[in-house]
Amino acid sequence: MAQITLDGVNKVFGKNTVIPSLNLEIGKGEFVVFVGPSGSGKSTLLRLIAGLEETSGGRISIEGKDVTMTPCGERGLAMVFQSYALYPHMTVRQNMAFPLEMVGESKASTAAKVEDAARVLDLTRFLERRPSQLSGGQRQRVAIGRAIVRNPTAFLFDEPLSNLDAALRGSMRLEIMKLHQQLESTMIYVTHDQVEAMTMADRIVVLNHGVIEQVGTPQELYERPANLFVAEFIGAPKMNRIGGRIAAAMGAETIGIRPEHLRIVEGEGTWQGSVELTENLGAESHVHVLCGEAGSLVVRMAGAPSVKAGDKINLSPAEGFTYRFDHEGKALR
Amino acid sequence: MHSTPQQREGRLLLAPLVAFLIVFLSFPALVDIVYALSDVTFQTMRAPQIVGFRNFGVVLADPEFWAACWFSLRFGVLTAIIECGLGLALAIFLSPIVSRHGWTLALIMLPMMVAPSMVGLMYRLVLHEFAGPLPHYLTLWFGTSPAFLDANNAFWTLVVVEVLQWTPFAFLLFHVAYISIPAEIREAAAMDRATAWKILWRIELPMMKATIAIALGIRFIDGFRVFDNVFGLTGAGAGGSTMSLSIYIYQSFFKGGQIGQAVAASVLMFLASLVVLYGAAVLKAQLDRRRMAA
Repeated sequence: MAQITLDGVNKVFGKNTVIPSLNLEIGKGEFVVFVGPSGSGKSTLLRLIAGLEETSGGRISIEGKDVTMTPCGERGLAMVFQSYALYPHMTVRQNMAFPLEMVGESKASTAAKVEDAARVLDLTRFLERRPSQLSGGQRQRVAIGRAIVRNPTAFLFDEPLSNLDAALRGSMRLEIMKLHQQLESTMIYVTHDQVEAMTMADRIVVLNHGVIEQVGTPQELYERPANLFVAEFIGAPKMNRIGGRIAAAMGAETIGIRPEHLRIVEGEGTWQGSVELTENLGAESHVHVLCGEAGSLVVRMAGAPSVKAGDKINLSPAEGFTYRFDHEGKALR
Repeated sequence: MHSTPQQREGRLLLAPLVAFLIVFLSFPALVDIVYALSDVTFQTMRAPQIVGFRNFGVVLADPEFWAACWFSLRFGVLTAIIECGLGLALAIFLSPIVSRHGWTLALIMLPMMVAPSMVGLMYRLVLHEFAGPLPHYLTLWFGTSPAFLDANNAFWTLVVVEVLQWTPFAFLLFHVAYISIPAEIREAAAMDRATAWKILWRIELPMMKATIAIALGIRFIDGFRVFDNVFGLTGAGAGGSTMSLSIYIYQSFFKGGQIGQAVAASVLMFLASLVVLYGAAVLKAQLDRRRMAA
């Protein structure tokens, strides 16, 4: 059963329609990621659910109750902000106790819940510190702790990891996933990072200009993108697109081939080209190849690159992994 | 002693500042100390006779000095509290308007643009018992008007005048502090079910604490040493009722010609402010230590 339902929800700022009418259902215990480029309306959508923005139309319901007009505090949701939004004048303990204090929870029960959350998040040593004395990752954990203590219906995360460095981002990603397994509560997570989306989500909602381009599991999005936008957004490096006569020959306006589905072949290949440059990532390499009519293509290969800039090589796409799109960018199946 | 090139360069760059301080601060300070310990009048300014601490004894025994101290203290504390209270309330209530329409800030700042002595003179006219428009209309409409400038009311009239002129200053400080609180913090508090009132008391005011302390301090200092607008409006006032410490010093210097006593009073004022500042610093250090220990 759907726990959070958006029914024809839209948002207009002045003359600017940020989100045209949109429907979405989020199930209990699901980890849903809203992903899209900046300006895609993903944060606005999250803020509409949180109640920090008023809807311009449509209905939002949580657990069957219409909350469209309910103030944000009373929707039973907890939010983790990009800037963490910790109260700088309070200690970690006071920060985490604040939401409980606001609902008049008893001192003893507040203390117990804060201690519990601190233990889960490994914050016990820092309870008497102020946010300014903590590192970015610790601050983020405090923000999550402040959300946990309330035992909310759902957690909302607004790009929570984008202020952290790459290494910390990876470990916090794992911590949030573990937390989701532990708490089994609904989480809605906004990010522009498709790696976060792919690794964390039960279901991904791909947004573009306030419109849902596709909803599906990471695997579905990767294997069966509904359109060119999703195809190019999911997967790194980006899917190669080829238009013109080559696409027309396959009955499409555009065809897409993922870099991992292109092979460098000995002898005759589908396309000939010369290597422009290679990027060596250690475990894999990306080879940029300029092929006459097909344009510039990227090939992903395991290990160190076997070719070097200037080499003339032949490329062939793997059988059955060519995506076809019509003139509107819709996938042809 | 060897010094690195950086140290030599630092000393060279500091030299103008040190020279400035010597010329503009230590010379007057030295003259002040000599005069405070001397019997000196306008006729004997170049040949002061050292008499020890007699001037201090005279000043401390003068009831007018203590009355002036009391006036300045009361005036400083009251105006500081009222100005900061009003400024804070205005900053919070007007912040939606002021942050959207920047020009309204200029409007609110206007009173600060007028020279305080001009403000004193203006109110002297406006409130004048016979010539002033305000008493005139009050009498016309209500049949009676308070004597704004007599010995009983002058203090409160001055407080109102000071508050009207300097509340904008407090407002400006609080406005800046208020709008610099990140929006996400307020949103987080709202998500945490804090009411607007709770957000104000538990989040916003504590975050503005430093600004509130600074504003109170600045406004107290300004009120305590008040001179020009009081001097322009009431002078020492009826029966010395509005004699601030600065006016006391001025009067004994220029009117009484008792330069030694006037300077002694100013030295006392300086020592008192040193004690207050030192006390505040010690208090703050103690609070910080307690916080670190906790």
